[in-house]
Amino acid sequence: MAEFHKADVEKLIDGVLPWPAVQDMMKSAKDTDRFDKYIEILQERVPWDEQILLPLTPSLFIIARHGARVVKCRCGHEFGDYRVNWKLSALIHVRDDEESLSKVYKGREMPDPTWVQVREYICPGCGAQLEVEAVPRGCPPDFDFLPDLDTFYREWLGRPLPDTAQFKDLTPDLVAEWRA
Amino acid sequence: MAEPTLLEQLRSNEKAFEETGNLFGLQSLPRKEKDPGTYEAVWHILSNVCNLAWEVGCKVSSSPIAVEGGDALWALHLPTGEAICVSRGITAHPGLLAAMIRNFIELGYEEYPGFNQGDIFENNDPHYGGIHSPDFDMAMPIFYEDKLVAWASCVSHVSDSGSVTPGSVGFLNPDCFSDGICISMEKVGENDAFYPWYEKRVRSRTRTPDFVMGDARGRLAGCVALRERVHAVIDKYGLDFFVDATKEYVEDSRRYAVSRVRTQCVPGRIRKSQFKDLAMKGQHVILNKQDVDCLFNLPMEVEIDADAGVRFSLRGASGTVPFGENISPTALKSGLLNGYSHIIGFDMFNSGPEASWEVETAPAGSWANPFEVDYTASSGVAWAPAVMWMSNLYEVFGRLFQMRGFVEEMAAGAATTMTAEFAGVTQLGYYLAGLTLEQASNGSPARGFTDGENSAWCIYTPNADFGNAEVTELYYPIMYLGRNIEPDSGGYGRFRGGLGHTAVWMVYGTPSGIEYQCGCAGMRSKIVSNHGMYGAYPTWPDAPSYAHDTNVQELIEAQKPLIHERGPATKPTIETNIEAADLQANPSAPFLTRELLQNYDIIVHPISGAQAMGDPLERDPESVVEDLNKGWTSPRVASEIHGVQTTMNGEYVVDSVATKQRRSEIREERKARAVPFKEWWDAERQKVAAKENMADAVCAMWRSSMQLSPEYGAELRSFWDLPDDFEF
Repeated sequence: MAEFHKADVEKLIDGVLPWPAVQDMMKSAKDTDRFDKYIEILQERVPWDEQILLPLTPSLFIIARHGARVVKCRCGHEFGDYRVNWKLSALIHVRDDEESLSKVYKGREMPDPTWVQVREYICPGCGAQLEVEAVPRGCPPDFDFLPDLDTFYREWLGRPLPDTAQFKDLTPDLVAEWRA
Repeated sequence: MAEPTLLEQLRSNEKAFEETGNLFGLQSLPRKEKDPGTYEAVWHILSNVCNLAWEVGCKVSSSPIAVEGGDALWALHLPTGEAICVSRGITAHPGLLAAMIRNFIELGYEEYPGFNQGDIFENNDPHYGGIHSPDFDMAMPIFYEDKLVAWASCVSHVSDSGSVTPGSVGFLNPDCFSDGICISMEKVGENDAFYPWYEKRVRSRTRTPDFVMGDARGRLAGCVALRERVHAVIDKYGLDFFVDATKEYVEDSRRYAVSRVRTQCVPGRIRKSQFKDLAMKGQHVILNKQDVDCLFNLPMEVEIDADAGVRFSLRGASGTVPFGENISPTALKSGLLNGYSHIIGFDMFNSGPEASWEVETAPAGSWANPFEVDYTASSGVAWAPAVMWMSNLYEVFGRLFQMRGFVEEMAAGAATTMTAEFAGVTQLGYYLAGLTLEQASNGSPARGFTDGENSAWCIYTPNADFGNAEVTELYYPIMYLGRNIEPDSGGYGRFRGGLGHTAVWMVYGTPSGIEYQCGCAGMRSKIVSNHGMYGAYPTWPDAPSYAHDTNVQELIEAQKPLIHERGPATKPTIETNIEAADLQANPSAPFLTRELLQNYDIIVHPISGAQAMGDPLERDPESVVEDLNKGWTSPRVASEIHGVQTTMNGEYVVDSVATKQRRSEIREERKARAVPFKEWWDAERQKVAAKENMADAVCAMWRSSMQLSPEYGAELRSFWDLPDDFEF
């Protein structure tokens, strides 16, 4: 069985692992400690110390701090409780007319702004473009992933987290506050 | 004791699965455990038997897409229908074939008309689980010493299904009565031969009967070859081993799928919106009711529970459409198995993974479950919304793999699928209608560690193959003037999707003129796809062109420049180089040309690239410059989207200092022009309530989604703070 080291995973993340090695990684049995190696690498790369519980995207992480679980960007900007869609705490730029769409799509590439809008979610801290949605007006933002963190750590990794949080989408609660 | 009937075996299998959670009640895999070498060897032998059937069947077939592109599939099944292993080819079908065999059993066919060696059964009827009329599903029982031990099956996509428009991509079909020839769960032959009346029906109800019958003989030849080889395998390894091992392969595959989810994913809830347009208002249609623009809502919600069980929901799916783009739940599940086989259960591809997930029944009356409400809905090209929905699967699992660190398994969303069909008298003097294979070779999705591959991937078959241009020219009265990689067609991100390609055809050699159907097997013309993970911009809409009644013959005689590529988005070559009485530089697709195209007419037919991944400012500047120097991206995109600044030294060279500076400026510009989400939400909900700048198709889609899925509607109203009785 092939063995993959932390350095291989680092190269993989950076897109510089040679293709034969990537193929080997694809074809071989997976390394059972990959998650731990991955977290270790990511933890070393961020400029802050809180423990990464789960990487949500290459830029966003759920971190643990004082019993809370918070979505945090690589740059350190925080987006709040992981059970609330982080997009509601981001900056947003929406291209919903020809002028703004034409900055990205030219001529025949142009979609029809009465059918679709392009939403760019931007980190207020570092200006990273975290996600782009292309949806018709009226579509709520996708809550891409709400993890069942406690089940994951307790039952799949076999090491329960020191505290627990209810597996529940709290986004509607925030929206209710906005409505009030 | 009498052998249980197949129906009794089915019920017994269901009970065993319910009681143990293992298919066939197999709590262990004794054949595998006792002799893993033989177990593995026989698996590969049986897989190769299926591939042999594919080789034989495709070569016997007649349609260009089967012979040249291998657009067919053969499979081996358990007596109760579960697929054991499959050939290469169109892997979207094993689920359908398995369901069809099961359906034969459920309908009592074992008793009447009975199952015998040499019997041929077929179905292409969506009302009984078929996908669409051109995909003929066939099954033949395999007996060994008077015992039904397996089934051989096949699907092939015929050149013409006899639908209201020529060819096989019936997106314009207004209802099921226009879907063409119908084989409804029938016994169509015995003793390895078709009944004469089967051929008479094909000759009566398709436009290209020689091709359609050639394909039927191809299916039969492949199934017979498969049966004979299975006999040889049983002769060598014994019937007991065959019976035991074939069941274990299916359960083994289920276990693999469950294990992959548990060891490489994360439990929780994933949501992925997805949309597809069909803009037909003002277009050439069949019935007045089709003078309408449609937008499909193709939502995917996935829940993964503590036991690694996966549950899919289509809550929010929009209503049926008066076109051939509705799909039966059985066919959609088969499509899902295809996607799953690419992403999760690909070690032993068979029916096993189906037992590891559930699909919530789609809302009755939606495109994904039409017949309970609209029995006459057409499924002429049912794949069209389904492949777009399946595309969600790549992103959904790509995100999950990323979270566990399995970056090598990540993929962004798939490409769209626009087809080209021709119908008319060929240069050889006979009538032909059918598909080219261009669409079977898209760009592949961006990976977590690299770009997608160009023109090398297809969502419905792992054997992407657009066929040889020279062979296509033999079948159809067209000449390739160009077939080249389309710059910037893979979205914009840290890793871009594989680029698509553009075919440029000149009509040539037809005595009659030809119809060109720029067809929809899953494409968009009004919207961009809503994939593009982690901050990447999605690919653009599909935009073909054509020119009718041209000056091309004069250009050739004068040896002046023709057209070999699409050209820049704002200055297409068809406009700069070609003069024509009817020049459609950017018509809304899909469409069927209103007039027959004649010799020297021009078609520019692009095939999409796939989706990108990551913030475009994080793309390696050297990769951007490499694309620039290959002509695969434009200076505008390099500079304005990727922020890469260059100098020229015979070729483009990265200016690292200026690039760093420009990227920093762009990040600041982003922050300056963006607003806090709540601020946008406050303004946007007023616009939503007023339906401001929303196309009729958008409002109609939301209306049907909310009516068919009240819970989904309530969530949408709540998010935008709309009144409880609000309707779009």
